[in-house]
Amino acid sequence: MSAAPPALSSYVLRHKVRIAASIVAIAATVSLQILLPFLVRYVIDGLDAGTLSRDELGAAIGLFLVGTGLSVWTGLLMRRLPLRLGYDVERQIRDDLFAHLSTLDRGFFASHQTGDLMTRASSDLGNVREYVGQGLLQGIRTTLVVTLAFSIMAFISPPLTMVMIVLLPGISVLCFFVLRLIRPRHDAVQQQLSDLTHFTQESFSGIRTLKGYAIEDRSAQRFTDLNGEFVRRNLALSLVERGIWPLFLFLFALGQVLLLVVGGRLVVQHHLTIGGLVLFMQYMAYMQWPMLALGWAMNLLVRGRASWRRVQTLLQTEPKVRDGTVTQPGLRDVRGDIEFRHISLTLDGQPLLRDIHVTFPEGATIGITGPTGSGKSLLAALLVRLVEPTEGQVFIGVHDIREFPLQVLRGHIGIATQEPFLFAETLESNILFGVDEPDPKTLEWAAEVAQLHGDVETFPARYETMLGERGVTLSGGQRRRAAISRAVARNPEILILDDVLAAVDTQTEARILERLRGVLKERTSIVVSHRISSLRQADLILVLENGRITELGTHADLLQRDGYYRNLERIQRLEAALEERA
Amino acid sequence: MKARPSRGLFRRLLGFVRPYRAYLAVALVGVLVLAFLVNALPVLLKQAIDKYLVAGADAELTTETRLLGLLHYGGLYLGLAALAYLIRFGQTYLMSWVGQHIVRDIRATLFNKLLRLPLAFYDRSAVGRLLTRMTSDVESMQRLVTDGLVGLTGDILLLVVTLGYMLVVSPALALAMCLILPLLIGLLTFLNVRLRRTHREVRSAQSSLNALLQESLTGMSTIQLFGREERQQAKFNQRSATLFDKFNDSVRWFSYYFPTLDMTRGLAISLVLAVGGIGLLADPPWITLGIVVAFLDYIRVFFQPLEDLSDKSSIFQEAMASCERIFALIDTPEEVHDPAEPATLGPVAGHVVFDQVWFAYNDEDWVLRDVSFSIEPGEAVAIVGATGAGKTSVISLLARFYDVQRGHVRFEGVDVRDLRQRDLRKHLGIVIQDPFIFAGTVEENITLRDGSIPREQVVEAARHVNAHDFIERLPRGYDTQLGEGALTLSTGQKQLLALARALVHNPEVLLILDEATANVDTETERLIQDAFNKVMHERTSIIIAHRLSTIRHVDRILVMREGRIVEQGTHQNLVAQDGYYRKLYEWMSYGLS
Repeated sequence: MSAAPPALSSYVLRHKVRIAASIVAIAATVSLQILLPFLVRYVIDGLDAGTLSRDELGAAIGLFLVGTGLSVWTGLLMRRLPLRLGYDVERQIRDDLFAHLSTLDRGFFASHQTGDLMTRASSDLGNVREYVGQGLLQGIRTTLVVTLAFSIMAFISPPLTMVMIVLLPGISVLCFFVLRLIRPRHDAVQQQLSDLTHFTQESFSGIRTLKGYAIEDRSAQRFTDLNGEFVRRNLALSLVERGIWPLFLFLFALGQVLLLVVGGRLVVQHHLTIGGLVLFMQYMAYMQWPMLALGWAMNLLVRGRASWRRVQTLLQTEPKVRDGTVTQPGLRDVRGDIEFRHISLTLDGQPLLRDIHVTFPEGATIGITGPTGSGKSLLAALLVRLVEPTEGQVFIGVHDIREFPLQVLRGHIGIATQEPFLFAETLESNILFGVDEPDPKTLEWAAEVAQLHGDVETFPARYETMLGERGVTLSGGQRRRAAISRAVARNPEILILDDVLAAVDTQTEARILERLRGVLKERTSIVVSHRISSLRQADLILVLENGRITELGTHADLLQRDGYYRNLERIQRLEAALEERA
Repeated sequence: MKARPSRGLFRRLLGFVRPYRAYLAVALVGVLVLAFLVNALPVLLKQAIDKYLVAGADAELTTETRLLGLLHYGGLYLGLAALAYLIRFGQTYLMSWVGQHIVRDIRATLFNKLLRLPLAFYDRSAVGRLLTRMTSDVESMQRLVTDGLVGLTGDILLLVVTLGYMLVVSPALALAMCLILPLLIGLLTFLNVRLRRTHREVRSAQSSLNALLQESLTGMSTIQLFGREERQQAKFNQRSATLFDKFNDSVRWFSYYFPTLDMTRGLAISLVLAVGGIGLLADPPWITLGIVVAFLDYIRVFFQPLEDLSDKSSIFQEAMASCERIFALIDTPEEVHDPAEPATLGPVAGHVVFDQVWFAYNDEDWVLRDVSFSIEPGEAVAIVGATGAGKTSVISLLARFYDVQRGHVRFEGVDVRDLRQRDLRKHLGIVIQDPFIFAGTVEENITLRDGSIPREQVVEAARHVNAHDFIERLPRGYDTQLGEGALTLSTGQKQLLALARALVHNPEVLLILDEATANVDTETERLIQDAFNKVMHERTSIIIAHRLSTIRHVDRILVMREGRIVEQGTHQNLVAQDGYYRKLYEWMSYGLS
């Protein structure tokens, strides 16, 4: 849809007024700080020549204090305006990025590590923000300082100005290169830290093996090696990082000496006053910071641009599953038989489904079973368009499912999976996650149907209980029952239970199925399971093996045939007998 | 002892510092010398100006002398500055060397402590929390040692020396500067406290946003399936705005920082000019112009340690909390002890006895109830039973991962509690249910990084357990990298590797926890069964079995049910008995057919 790549400038230039205000504040601060030393020169020269009266001294100092006060105020604005602008830009890109990510399909998330996406949305964006904020501040500031200060200095004493021209840009360049030296060393430290942390984590996770083989000594030795290398790399970083500051102080001293010798000579020859010399010394002290900052800002620029490119790539990624030309925006009703027409699915060269051709009549309950990896869950994924078929079409009623707007299609389907993802929110908002107008009745009914209500009564804050790290950790069974509640609460036209009862014990399963029966009957329901007890009541059961339908029929039909289903039934009968005796 | 915890902490921390006290002393001497050097520079400046530059100087001296004098002072100034550079560099490097080594020692102490802690400790501790101890807590301790202890001493030294110099050069101007001191320290401390607080708030807002982001990225399918994209976006935007606000706060306090310095510096300059001006205008003048210019330079020297100092107090508080957590971990009692006078084993044949053993992981939740059996050297024994019958605990107790509550576990006639854990375990080869694969090569995973085991022996062991062929087919054979981010093995391959790992160490007793897994392909399954049957008969072995072929091949089967041994005998005997085992066997036959 978005053909042109989003440009960083479009985010920055939205804030024209603030950029202008930043420039004014920076210009004011720089001018004041460059002019104030003139008062110092005036006092020093007056004192040296003995021409300054007490009143003049007082006036000069008073003026100096007023000027300082003013420069403090503009100095505040000079920093706040551009830096906040940077944060603002960061926030806008971040929000856009998130909105964009939520349109991307499952294939995208499968091929991108979460950690990598997190890095782009946090530290890369942070680099972009620094690039914008600090870039603006330091860029404008240094430009102004350099032009203003150098023209004034050239006016006062061209020879001393030459000294400054030799020294100051040198500081910027040096700073730039030292920072470039620091980066790889810093990365090397981080790498070693992550190796060290990884080894530590591995030692703790594999502690049974470690203790079982009595190799604590060897682990300790390896840790010592990694630890030692970490120290070595840290010191290599220190060498540059800690070396830089003394070096700058030395350069500064060098500047002072040059000013003293060259400037002193000019004073002796009456080409310059002592006050003029002090003025230059003050400029030297004042300008070292912007010059250092310039070197730093140049690094931010290099890093910020690289980071922006990474963010931009994400923003440019187009979603594979989305509404397109075949979509009929007016379609609202998702009902009718579900038809899989000669569906084949190949992912990464691996054929997963082959020529699936089957119809699920409207209102029927369909059972799907088969060994692990046979493609059971993929039928459900196709129906909600989490994956698109390589060949063939899926129909609901008379419409190819791609004709439904994605939101409408998914809005009519409720799905609960075997590894449900619950959010770190209250139980209530998890159950009512897909409900547009939540009410307590739906909540309790949905929990009741999934046999979750009884468990909820034991939670500290009942439905208000937080889930996840900061709250209650649900057991596997509870998580799955919560997922059933979540799917049922939407009261969907089509309900999919994808192996969701697998880890629930048999008695609970029986109770859930009992309560669910009514719910399943009211709509088209698809139950994926490897438990006979979940499947036997289905109107139609299909067995998938190696991506093909190998058996199709009712429970009674399939028991007649010597195949996967009958064998499964037999094993589970024996298992049940064993449990009874125990 | 809770009364003055910080003092105790401090003393323990000093224990880690002690080995490096000589280096620290050198570093402090460096700081002291540096303080004198840095302060000497403005004095040089003053003398150069007063001697050769002031208005009256040309009456007394020739231009030639004045220029030579300037050069002389310039050279001296440069020499001292270069010396100061070297000392400053050497001193900071030395400090970071000492800091790094102290932290290295703390990290090693922690790691070794953790290795000594029993499995029960790991059962109840999250790995993530232990990692935090090892990383961020240690890091904040490092800041305390390097920046805190030493930086503080250095800053104070520098400040005192500077004040001393200033007093000598001009008591009046020095006193004037002292007026600025409390103002500057007060303002900077206030700002630093604020800055740290807002940084903490920024961090917490950032991590809350990141948590939501991570959750949304992981659960994106769920969000999309339930049509909640917009609501999730609204939530994200809200946290994004909170973070923005916190950032704004931090910008606010940050933006005060440098203007505050500028302001106090401006005040200092005004004071110097005012006092200096009065002194020079007095009749006779009681100050020189050189002194005034020198003090303008002193302002710079004077401000630097003050900026540093005001940042220190907050570091202390954070680091103290980390220290407490670290020392608490170091003080964790080790429940499974090596005896003070360990028994020694002669040549080991592999004789195992469980004598009326009762065991629970917690309290009276018995996992084993009065279990007794004896295994003769060379015997191959299988333990079977339903999930939760206590099979795994038998092996954990023999390896002394835990201690029994009642009864005895004897190895070669010696209670395992009388042996050193290492002496006991080096005779055992344990093949664990879900073998842990370390990041490293295949070979390193088999030898567990024991460099003394030659490649031939590794290959021999792998060949013996049918692992050689699949290893050879890996991209780089025995040198293939395994683990996170590298090649992952199938469950069956992992089991073969674990078996090779056990055998290459040539143990007298083999303990196998066999996993009943559905996703092992038939060919690998055949190889595993073949390997098990082969190795079990070469030494004493105990196997927790799910595979029919292994059960049929052992010398004896122990049938466990709810923490007790309910039946034992050979496969034929047990099937003939028509008891619990028979049912179990029937179930297993179907499950794996």
